[in-house]
Amino acid sequence: MSGVVLNKVVKRYGDIDVVHGIDLHVAEQEFVVLVGPSGCGKSTTLRMIAGLEEISDGTIDIAGREVNEVAPKDRDVAMVFQNYALYPHLDVAENIAFGLRIRRVPKVEIERSVNEVAGILGLTSYLDRKPADLSGGQRQRVAMGRAIVRNPKVFLFDEPLSNLDAQLRTQMRAEIKRLHARLGVTSVYVTHDQVEAMTLADRIVVMSEGRIEQIGTPMELFMNPANRFVASFIGSPPMNQLGATLANEAEGPVATLDDGARIVLPRFEGSADSEGRRVVVGIRPEDVLLEGTDTSDSVPIDVDLIEPLGSEALIHAKVGEHPFVIKTETYGDIAHLSELRKIRINRERVKVFDEEDGRSLFSSVGD
Amino acid sequence: MTNMNLYSRGDKLFVIANMVLIGMFAISTLYPFIYIAALSLSSGFEARAGKVLLTPVSFTIEAYQYVLSDPQFWISYKNTFIYTIGGTLMSLLLIIPGAYALSRPQLFGRRFWNLTVAFTMWFNAGLIPFFLNMRDLGLLDSYFGIIIGFAVNGFNIILLRNFFESVPQSFEEAARMDGANEFQVLWKVYIPLSKPAIATIALFCIVSRWNGFFWAMVLLQDEDKIPLQVFLRHTISNLSDDQEFGATLFNAAYSFETVSAAIIVCSIIPVLIVYPLMQKYFEKGILLGGVKE
Amino acid sequence: MSSLTRTQRIWKHLRREWQLYVMLLPTIVWLVVFLYKPMYGLQVAFKDYSIFRGVAASPWIGFEHFETLFGNDQFIRALRNTVIISFYSLLIGFPVPILLALMFNEVLNQTFKKSAQTIVYLPHFISSVIIAGIVITAFSPSAGVVNTVIGWFGLEPIYFLTKPEWFRPIFIGTGIWQEAGFQSIVYLAAIAGVSPTLYESAVIDGASRWQMMWKVTIPSIMTTIIIMLIIRIGNVLEVSFEMIILLYQPATYETADVVNTFIYRQGIQAGQYDFAAAAGLFNAVVAFVLVMTANSLSKRYSRTSLW
Repeated sequence: MSGVVLNKVVKRYGDIDVVHGIDLHVAEQEFVVLVGPSGCGKSTTLRMIAGLEEISDGTIDIAGREVNEVAPKDRDVAMVFQNYALYPHLDVAENIAFGLRIRRVPKVEIERSVNEVAGILGLTSYLDRKPADLSGGQRQRVAMGRAIVRNPKVFLFDEPLSNLDAQLRTQMRAEIKRLHARLGVTSVYVTHDQVEAMTLADRIVVMSEGRIEQIGTPMELFMNPANRFVASFIGSPPMNQLGATLANEAEGPVATLDDGARIVLPRFEGSADSEGRRVVVGIRPEDVLLEGTDTSDSVPIDVDLIEPLGSEALIHAKVGEHPFVIKTETYGDIAHLSELRKIRINRERVKVFDEEDGRSLFSSVGD
Repeated sequence: MTNMNLYSRGDKLFVIANMVLIGMFAISTLYPFIYIAALSLSSGFEARAGKVLLTPVSFTIEAYQYVLSDPQFWISYKNTFIYTIGGTLMSLLLIIPGAYALSRPQLFGRRFWNLTVAFTMWFNAGLIPFFLNMRDLGLLDSYFGIIIGFAVNGFNIILLRNFFESVPQSFEEAARMDGANEFQVLWKVYIPLSKPAIATIALFCIVSRWNGFFWAMVLLQDEDKIPLQVFLRHTISNLSDDQEFGATLFNAAYSFETVSAAIIVCSIIPVLIVYPLMQKYFEKGILLGGVKE
Repeated sequence: MSSLTRTQRIWKHLRREWQLYVMLLPTIVWLVVFLYKPMYGLQVAFKDYSIFRGVAASPWIGFEHFETLFGNDQFIRALRNTVIISFYSLLIGFPVPILLALMFNEVLNQTFKKSAQTIVYLPHFISSVIIAGIVITAFSPSAGVVNTVIGWFGLEPIYFLTKPEWFRPIFIGTGIWQEAGFQSIVYLAAIAGVSPTLYESAVIDGASRWQMMWKVTIPSIMTTIIIMLIIRIGNVLEVSFEMIILLYQPATYETADVVNTFIYRQGIQAGQYDFAAAAGLFNAVVAFVLVMTANSLSKRYSRTSLW
């Protein structure tokens, strides 16, 4: 059992709490991604797991042992840093071996481990190079090698891909995923990039202002965001959010947008007595239909700008006064898009949030 | 920017005049050294008569023979090596760990400790209390007194602390997660990463130790412990103040001028040997020290 | 787990980070023993100090030493000499490194530039004893090159180092000769930091080298110049007295003796420790005030403090 359990973990600087009592259970072999905007406490949380920050309150268990008072080196965790922290005066082999040397592992064994790890990461022919002579991707691999070679119970990743260019990032993302599949080591990964979170995670933890907003698989988070924050954070471009008032009509609950358009919603728990309730309707850019708009529930729009992306296009439009983004498949044919006057909403996918607290009204969802 | 043909005539004239001026400044810097070297290789008679200007007149190495056969010269030379090597090592030993500790954000009372260091740069008790303190500590006339008494200065600590601060914190964190304690972090990571800064400080120490004069003169009475600079001073002032003694030294082969010049040359040579090495670092070092906290 | 008290937190921190404090300890102990303890020893300035009783046990006598000091003609003379020598060193010595840096910047031939720099930086690394030795030799009445050259014009040799009127020019000139080259490094670094695009746009605007120096380079390094000036003013009492000790003699005391050489003679040579310490304390307090003023001034100019 080598999971990580956070129990009401608090980080306090002076009188200010930056992490407000987090509960999280990372199962053995699970890959969990902490994601959120900068300053949301995700890195601090990771550093508390690593032992680089003291835990102000609560407990952290690693592999069934409370580690609050255990030094980083004795927690049996390894970390990949954002800037890699490769020692420039040591070559690749020495960088990978550093931790083993410090721990006085016998020389023969060090050599064997380094070679094995170098083999896994495709670094065998670079072992005698200095970090300055490596490409960004190779440095990233050395940083991972340094973590892997120690054979730790838990891997911690602190925004490891943010120093790479877009193409390499995609490539290394896939390598990390493959590596995890192969080694099966419990991993906690911090990023601000929701695409990285979606592609890598078994489960994603969305954080904001020192609190967990939602925990779930990538698809759960995408399909059923628990609140407006998660809804806007997961998915790209972000979900459109429009103010509306609910009414109960014969065909079901109906949201009347502030601009007058009506959207018929699927029934949900408590929808019967929500007459007149102020809500925010969430519509993903993908969940818009451009054809068959001569119906009573179409929404009038003003097209402002078309951004062709090749197979798709983004339409920046306005619903009344509010900006509204539509993503549509085009395969290059965008000429007709500027003619667009009306759209229909895919009502099965619409989300509704309480205007006050931002929580989703679709209570089948939740954490 | 470097293509001369693109320059107007006024610009060309300006560039050339500028080069001439710099050349003159460089020559006037260099000349005294050439003069001393020429003097040290001239005969005492010609030197006394003021005939030496640029090159040795009546070339002779008698002045050097006189200097090198003086056992006191060799004793003081040896002492200077002891003070330079011992003092520099002592400085590094005291400055590096302290500067590292001061650079760590987790150090409790960091502001207070830094102020403790910086205050010594602003306020100095002065010659007399320092001297009395050395005497009370029993460090007069002692090798150890010279080596330890001038080992630390605030400027060097702050210079190195700034450098350590510029190394990303994640190097320390990565090493600690790899199992290193603070001493190992410093020794295996921060010191190798800071080689240029440490070399700069070591060179500053070496130069100030090699050239150190005033306190060695004040604190050391024992002739067997004085460094080269004090020996040089004694010789020059004995020779020039005491005209009679100077006159006894004067003969056709060497005079006190040529002997002084020979000692000067002997003590400059080691500086000239390390100078090219130093030049690599001191420009950087000055910038490291920079005008910043 | 409940919140910890302050004491518990400190203990926890020390258990974790004790090694840092072990590293810091020798440095702090050194500072206390060699720099802070003498500050405690400064009290001899207010005492009738006796070697046998030691600093603590000697009896207090209040400001007696200071009264004697300000009634002492030699001290007043030393104070005046300190200010005069500093003032002239600053007035003449301050612009030279700036000029040198500007001139180096205009040199196009890199080999020439590097060699000239190598030469002019060198004297900084030569000890004051040697520099003084060179000066004494060069200015000596019979053998010195200076008097030889004077002789070519049919003039009588001058025994420069015994003439009070010659001491300050020789001392200040030596200081400039020794340090101007090295001090130019700071300005060269500032010039190196000027964006090349400024020069490129000046070239396109048709500026000559001379105009570029005045309109681009000098304004760009003005902050550095002001900061260096403030530092120099702050250190105005720090006349390099080691060099004075090496060059002066009783015949030139009237123009050469500064506060620190006065302290050296009265205290260390004549053994009037308490009296000399009083002069030293006065010097240190004035220096402290000057340095702190300089620091706050430079903060205002550059938004970075000097330390």
